[in-house]
Amino acid sequence: MTTSSFRDVEQLSAFLDGQLSQAEKSRLETRLKQEPALTILLGDLRNARSILHQTPKRTVPRNFTLDPHMAGIRPPLPRLVPAFSWASAVAAFLFIITLGGNLLGQFSFGPAAPMLAVAPATSQGSGLGSAPLNATTTPASDNSLYTPTPEAFTLMAPQTTLPSENRAIPPLPVTKSLNNPVNIWLLIWPGLALFLLGVAMIIRWLTLVKFRRRVNKK
Amino acid sequence: MDEPALIRNAQNGDLNAFNSLVLSYQVIVFNTALRILGDEDQAADASQEAFISAFRALNSYRGGSFRAWLLRTVTNACYDELRRKKRRPTTPLEPETGDGEDIETPRWLTDPNPLPEQHLDQEELEHAIQHCLENLPTDFRAVVVLADIQGLDYGEVAVAVRTPVGTVKSRLARARLRLRECLQGFRELLPAAFRLEEERGL
Repeated sequence: MTTSSFRDVEQLSAFLDGQLSQAEKSRLETRLKQEPALTILLGDLRNARSILHQTPKRTVPRNFTLDPHMAGIRPPLPRLVPAFSWASAVAAFLFIITLGGNLLGQFSFGPAAPMLAVAPATSQGSGLGSAPLNATTTPASDNSLYTPTPEAFTLMAPQTTLPSENRAIPPLPVTKSLNNPVNIWLLIWPGLALFLLGVAMIIRWLTLVKFRRRVNKK
Repeated sequence: MDEPALIRNAQNGDLNAFNSLVLSYQVIVFNTALRILGDEDQAADASQEAFISAFRALNSYRGGSFRAWLLRTVTNACYDELRRKKRRPTTPLEPETGDGEDIETPRWLTDPNPLPEQHLDQEELEHAIQHCLENLPTDFRAVVVLADIQGLDYGEVAVAVRTPVGTVKSRLARARLRLRECLQGFRELLPAAFRLEEERGL
């Protein structure tokens, strides 16, 4: 087929669809009256077009409606999300402080721990640790082991402790650590962090339940 | 609810509004995919993909024919599927004759129960049309399916296949010419009115 004849096919095809301008249309109609081959070609194209129009429409095998998962819709975030984002940051910060505090406490107080058993015995004159010391230093104090009366303690204390030993013993870490406010916070911070985490999880759960109920209703 | 309102609501994330649009257009979308791909399962997959893509890209719709915009997504999904098929061609399961040769037509897959004659004729005509469509280049096929089977005007087809109206006009003319030649090979399957007209023409 030549280029000019393809131009004719294009014109005829557009003519069938009513896409020609008025001038083009009247020019083509004149040619159709004069050229029988062009009329046959028009008939063929019309037939092909009509057959395609008659192509049966198939019913859909299933509905193509989307569910929230397919549509990529996520449950809405609670309104308090910004606040809880900060809460998680604070919780993480507190956790680090707690962990750091614990580690520091372990390193600083760790070596002093064995002294805890000895110190009360030496300074106050009581406790199990003091017994062997008493036994070795003064045989006269043997009775005190069996009769631990307050009078005995007060009387025996100066005899059992040596001044040089008394000076060498460090101050009591136990009483100091109990009075230290940092240690109280070491209990409060993780508690607060856990509380915030719990509240955040409950709010998230409530939002999810609400969202699922709404989706199921629809 | 009218279509523009449904589209607006769907653009604001209302899935129910979008699903109403899906129900209105799923037949045309599925049939377009079916005629371009020639396989029902692939057409269903392409249609589903098209609707998912359409929902996600709904904010890019800026007015005009929603049908054309939607058919663009399904045409793209079909092109993707055809490209995938080209990369990984599959061998159809066809039975063999007693001599070990393949039976040419997969008609053995159809229901063996006797069908009303009219239904059978229509089915065979549909096979003939599908055969001729599949012999067309993909670009021509998409244009002829949209214009002659789905009844879109040139402007809508141009939107759907993202080509100028002039190209649509030219592709449609070439496609019709080729289809005319192909359909002549199935003259006995054509409806009587067309056969008589063809014979008169000859």
